[in-house]
Amino acid sequence: MKRKALVSLLLTAAMAASCLSGCGGSSSDSDSTPSSSDNVDAEDSKSEESEGNGGGVKEFTAFFAVPGSEINDDNEIQQIIAEKTGVKVKETWLTGQTAEEAIGTIIAGGDYPDFIEGDQGTSQLYDAGALVALDDYIDKYPNIKEFFTEQEWDSLRQEDGHIYWIPQFSNIYGQERECTHNDEAFWIQTRVLKWADYPEIRTMDEYFDLLERYQEANPTMEDGTENIPYTILCDDWRYFCLENAPQFLDGYPNDGSCIVDPNELKIIDYNTTPTAVKYFQKLNEEYKKGIIDTESFTQTYDEYISKLSTGRVLGMIDQWWDFAYTAGDAIKSAKLDQQGCSYVPLPITIDKDTKNQWHNSGGVVNTGTGLAITVSCDDVEGALQFVDDLLSQEIHDLRFWGVEGTDYQVNENGEYSRTEEMRTSCADTAYKAAHLCTYSYFPQWLGTSRDGVNAMKPDGQEEEFYDSVSDDVKECFDAYGVKTYVEMLGTSEAPGAWYPMWSYSNNLTADTDGGMAWTKMGEIKHEYLPKVVMAEDFDGAWNEYMEAYEKCNPQDFLAEMQTELDRRMKEAEKYK
Amino acid sequence: MSAKAKKRKENTSAEPKVKITVKELKRQKVLLFWSAIIVIYGFIFYYLPLGGWVMAFQNYKPAKGLLHSEFVGLDKFKRLFSDETFLRVIRNTLAMGIINLVATFVMAILFAILLNEIRQRRTKKVIQTVSYLPHFLSWIIVTGILHDVLSGTGIVNEVLMNLHLIDKSIDFFAHPSYFWPIVAFANVWKETGWNAIIYLSAITAIDPSLYEAAAIDGAGRMKKILHVTLPGIKPTIIILLLMNVGNVLNAGFEIQYLLGNGLVQSVSQTIDIYVLKWGISQGDYSIGTAAGIFKSIVSIILIVIANQIAKRNGEERLY
Repeated sequence: MKRKALVSLLLTAAMAASCLSGCGGSSSDSDSTPSSSDNVDAEDSKSEESEGNGGGVKEFTAFFAVPGSEINDDNEIQQIIAEKTGVKVKETWLTGQTAEEAIGTIIAGGDYPDFIEGDQGTSQLYDAGALVALDDYIDKYPNIKEFFTEQEWDSLRQEDGHIYWIPQFSNIYGQERECTHNDEAFWIQTRVLKWADYPEIRTMDEYFDLLERYQEANPTMEDGTENIPYTILCDDWRYFCLENAPQFLDGYPNDGSCIVDPNELKIIDYNTTPTAVKYFQKLNEEYKKGIIDTESFTQTYDEYISKLSTGRVLGMIDQWWDFAYTAGDAIKSAKLDQQGCSYVPLPITIDKDTKNQWHNSGGVVNTGTGLAITVSCDDVEGALQFVDDLLSQEIHDLRFWGVEGTDYQVNENGEYSRTEEMRTSCADTAYKAAHLCTYSYFPQWLGTSRDGVNAMKPDGQEEEFYDSVSDDVKECFDAYGVKTYVEMLGTSEAPGAWYPMWSYSNNLTADTDGGMAWTKMGEIKHEYLPKVVMAEDFDGAWNEYMEAYEKCNPQDFLAEMQTELDRRMKEAEKYK
Repeated sequence: MSAKAKKRKENTSAEPKVKITVKELKRQKVLLFWSAIIVIYGFIFYYLPLGGWVMAFQNYKPAKGLLHSEFVGLDKFKRLFSDETFLRVIRNTLAMGIINLVATFVMAILFAILLNEIRQRRTKKVIQTVSYLPHFLSWIIVTGILHDVLSGTGIVNEVLMNLHLIDKSIDFFAHPSYFWPIVAFANVWKETGWNAIIYLSAITAIDPSLYEAAAIDGAGRMKKILHVTLPGIKPTIIILLLMNVGNVLNAGFEIQYLLGNGLVQSVSQTIDIYVLKWGISQGDYSIGTAAGIFKSIVSIILIVIANQIAKRNGEERLY
């Protein structure tokens, strides 16, 4: 009897142990990390399998540490490109993690895809020795070589004098053709502007005043859904929608992590400027008035996007790319644009005399990150040849315009355009996945095509762009006498040679005092800025915030940014 | 020490000793073979990775590897303990761990006893099945449900508003003081049914004659629960408690990571999130490892202490 009891006790214990380790309340960090690398690994092995039997088509793998949408395996244009170049790339994207987490996990696993875009984890990849130096190869590929000037190539050299990645974006061929303001702005729905008969809105006070008046007159949408006058996205790294407006309000361009005084060439901290205080005080007032969405600081990105997609939100600060391709398209396909729910940007600054720099002309080479080839790639030359091919005009047109006759038409002057039907299908998610293949995180051109007539991308083709926007946006453009989003804001000259400073701060790691301070500042701002906005007593909350902020030693961070600014200016001197 | 415990001690010391001889080894060669596999497995998967602990004493760089990274002694630990955030993270982990432990533990026992009192077999089975199903949901789904239910327009706010208990919807995730209760609630909701299975099986192992005897002595339901059921499952309770105490620092990762936001980060971040943030995201694998070592050591200490207490009180114990 006794032995039996002991045995049953042991069994119970064993069962309990298995329960606890298997599931229970325990979820150690080791449970959660491998799952993320799994999909990358899976892609890897897949590529190796298909290399042999791809009918002469070599398959590479790519991981981009940014959110993106996957295309179908039998995507038509991808197939055409594969036939022409002999290469196909299986792309995977970030899902539900930050870039640093994903990259950190891949490094810890030591198994890399062939191509990689590390985003904010790029310097980690470099530190880990995961990337192949490209400078010896570049001269062999004319299209890649052409992509940057000698100065730009040199600016990509890392401490060891080598080039490891190729920034993909914002590179202009020939004349600049830009219609979309792809960056940050105060956005507002056209119905609000229409209701007020398209007034000139220049300051933050006017902006919120307009929202208040509109909300009072029209508390609901046509179907009775309550409007949300203003929401703030605050999810993880996307909290720029809350925190970095003070730099723009003061009329500076998007250096992202600080202001650069263009005359003195000094770094200024935008977190503590009088404008910052005014901005957050305004938000605090509006919060108390009920203009700001109370879920602002707890909503996730997905919740935010679905909120915007319903057309309820009258205005917000955001980057175009952060909402337009998701919420913007959803508003369009739900025909909410007929109610005037499309967003247009407004040139807002802290007072009327400040000239805004929400939009700058000229391409920005983000030297901090780009497309890189990893040490796991067994055919670096083949990979680079593919990148070279992607930059040739024929393939470039295929990537961004599509197939002639199906996705665009050519008139007698050689101008490309799309019919209404083509436009609708090209905006359709299912069609995009099945047919279009832009290889969107491979190097690409903006500006004018090598034929001198067309734009490199459809949204740069002025006629095509104007025809493609929703009617409510057209009406709004007409009322203000403009043709593009960019003209809504007015454009500014490209800032100095230092620009943009965020390409440096994005890559700071906790190795240096400045990087440590930068991370802590981020943490403090994440916690205190929402508190400041929600506070009953603004001054008290602000002082508390400032106290916590000072403890992070922001001066360490600013000093490091100053050093980088000086270095960049000195570097630029060489080419004058 | 109680008489019972003393008796057991004599028992163990009286085990027959087997002399290790070649003949004896030969006789047990199959057993030895299988044990060897387990030992090798354990060595490879549990002990070999501990070599990575070296990282905590280095300024580890993946490019240089374990062998060539610079040794910095206890610098990383010093930085860890001078970091206010880390101290706060320990507090959060301990607090949430203890709240979760107590809540899930008490609820599971209560639930098992209540379930046992249900006379109708079928109802009992249905309730049991339904109650342990949430265990199989992953945290991402549970947090998704929680997010919806507790959102400004979620069902909880709707109900409270319609009952006129509140006149403005409460933003549950914006208040640090609600965070721990929400986590505890989620844990209880998810794990109660599952944890109760063990207690239920322990209850069924209790000799029915004990209940009959109690009934003859005039014990009602409550008395039977108090004097028969609870003492009957006491060994199980103690063993599970001991194991759970060692798990207190595993207060969780997913739920806090998925439910947390900037406003509540001062109470939501646990050691695991800290390790992820500094170790993986910021690329400082050394500090991540140091934090991990700290967690393991504290867990071991907790288990030893709990076991000692159990031993002293003459209760069941792990070793």
